[in-house]
Amino acid sequence: MYFQLAFRNLRRNGVRSALAVIGIVIGVMAVASIGIFSANLKTSFLSSFQNVTDEVLVYPAYNAHFRHGLVTTSGVMYIDKRTAERIVRLPYVKDYAFVKDTFTTARHREEVFGVTVYGMDESAVKKLFKAEKGILRLSDSCVVGYDLADRLDLRVGSRVEINGHKLRVSAILKETGARFDVNPNNAVLVSLRDYDRIFNTKNEGYNFIVVWVKSLKDVSLFKDAVEKTVNAREKKVEVFELKIIIDQINKGFSFVSRFLMAIAGISLLVAGVSILNIMLMSTLERTKEIGVMMAIGAYRTTILKLFLLEALILGIIGSVIGAVLSLAGGYAVDMMILHSAKYLLSLTTLGYMLEGMFFGLLTTLISGFYPAWKASRLEPLEALRYE
Amino acid sequence: MRAVIELVNVRKVYRIGGEEVYAVNGVSMSVRKGEFLCIMGASGSGKTTLLSLMGCLDRPTSGKVLIDGIDTSSLSDRELTDIRRDKIGFVFQQYHLIPTLTAFENVELPMLLKGVPKAERERRAMELLEIMGIAKAANRKPSELSGGMQQRVAIARALANDPEILLCDEPTGNLDTKSGEVVMNLIEEQNERGVTVVLVTHDPDIAKYAERVVRIRDGKIVEDPGIKLG
Ligand SMILES: Nc1ncnc2c1ncn2[C@@H]1O[C@H](COP(=O)(O)OP(=O)(O)OP(=O)(O)O)[C@@H](O)[C@H]1O
Ligand SMILES: [Mg+2]
Repeated sequence: MYFQLAFRNLRRNGVRSALAVIGIVIGVMAVASIGIFSANLKTSFLSSFQNVTDEVLVYPAYNAHFRHGLVTTSGVMYIDKRTAERIVRLPYVKDYAFVKDTFTTARHREEVFGVTVYGMDESAVKKLFKAEKGILRLSDSCVVGYDLADRLDLRVGSRVEINGHKLRVSAILKETGARFDVNPNNAVLVSLRDYDRIFNTKNEGYNFIVVWVKSLKDVSLFKDAVEKTVNAREKKVEVFELKIIIDQINKGFSFVSRFLMAIAGISLLVAGVSILNIMLMSTLERTKEIGVMMAIGAYRTTILKLFLLEALILGIIGSVIGAVLSLAGGYAVDMMILHSAKYLLSLTTLGYMLEGMFFGLLTTLISGFYPAWKASRLEPLEALRYE
Repeated sequence: MRAVIELVNVRKVYRIGGEEVYAVNGVSMSVRKGEFLCIMGASGSGKTTLLSLMGCLDRPTSGKVLIDGIDTSSLSDRELTDIRRDKIGFVFQQYHLIPTLTAFENVELPMLLKGVPKAERERRAMELLEIMGIAKAANRKPSELSGGMQQRVAIARALANDPEILLCDEPTGNLDTKSGEVVMNLIEEQNERGVTVVLVTHDPDIAKYAERVVRIRDGKIVEDPGIKLG
């Protein structure tokens, strides 16, 4: 019956209550939609990186310093073969790929162009990439990235000349998203043997090693092991956990997302002020009724609860509608900016909807509290005499 | 006979601007159990204020109000509310029904506030509306009822928690003679059942219902057959 009383009081001023609900709807919708969109943007962005969390990159510990106007370097530019072998023999290593890379010019027909050339084993290429056309084979042939092939009109069977060495294109790779290890889109991939032949690097080590550990928790164990063995006497290599990079991106995104949500929260603040206003008007208009309620035996706390209940009803209705509409809002923004809504239906979305609802309810309760408190502090006789 | 309400040198002062208005100025009186008491006085003489003090709707500036022998000055707001809810029924000149609730729900309300179970609430509300002769109007809103009917709903509401005392502030003030008579008969009926009635009026015809008439002027008792005036 308290609920009925509250509900009927809201209905009595239908337009006013509707406006308050609309305010909350807009606020909740803004907060939740932006949360949903930011989450989808992040998912969409991170999905362009492959599942790299069990991947670790090992680079030579090469440093450049500026000192007295001169550039001095320390460390080495590549990982020598003995060190490389020691690294990949460490426990925790499930699989690995030795990689040599350089940026150079190449030629196709009459066209000369800049490309990255990667030297790596055929098995590693097969592990990392898929062919769009042709078959991945690296003996006396090469594999080219999607963009490069597209730009130069390369086909399976075309010939690419690097450093005077002609290589037949055996396959064109599928387009990939941004990667931290090997970026093949604008690159030529050759076998390590061919690489050494082309660049005369047989006695040099590798530019980096891609290591796959057995499980996620092995990432830090592997890192420790490298420090204790290979790096024990001098710092030869640097280990990069891709997980940490992804974590950083995650952190950055959630910071931006919080910031945007806070801005959207201003609309909730506005809604809160309008509820405050509406409820204050309502308590003023109902002063006499409050007096009557007190006269027939309503505690101050009962009056307080009754008005809070009214605010709560407004809040629940507004928040639920707002949360549902935020799905539509999220969809609209997703389509507008990401041109796809495939990440919309997820647990994260539900999470942001609930969060929007929570803040919507919180706003109504906070702004409903002062009028409710004021109503409960009225003196019964004065309230009864109020005209 | 025991006194259900006792006022000891009660004063109520209002401040308007810098001026002090004594709405009730040193009233001492007692209301006996089962009595039908009428308070008469001109407009502005302090009748409503006095009745509100008896009903614990307000606290006196000085003096004591005892209900059933309990000194109310030492009670908290919450305890005063309990007294209003359980021991006192109010009937006002403007009926003061809750406009969003039906007649039936208005009668239920004091019981809801007391925590009476729903079934018992509904039984009692219907019983009271029947006693008041308006059972047919149970599901109507106050705005759909005549003044006389609204006042009968208000009396039913005042009786909901079976109070000892019924305080009526010009209950017939807004009614025509005929509905006024109906209302007065209903109040009288309750008095015959043993409910103590204190009724404020300035209509001498209404005052005839009372066993005892107390007259006040400017917040002071000028005539009270129940006590000797010093
Ligand atoms: N809240 C208040 N502030 C200031 N003065 C008040 C207040 N309430 C009542 N008064 C004054 O106290 C006096 C008594 O008022 P009260 O309402 O008790 O009179 P009454 O006898 O009930 O009058 P009526 O017959 O018009 O209802 C009046 O002079 C009134 O102006
Ligand atoms: Mg009066």
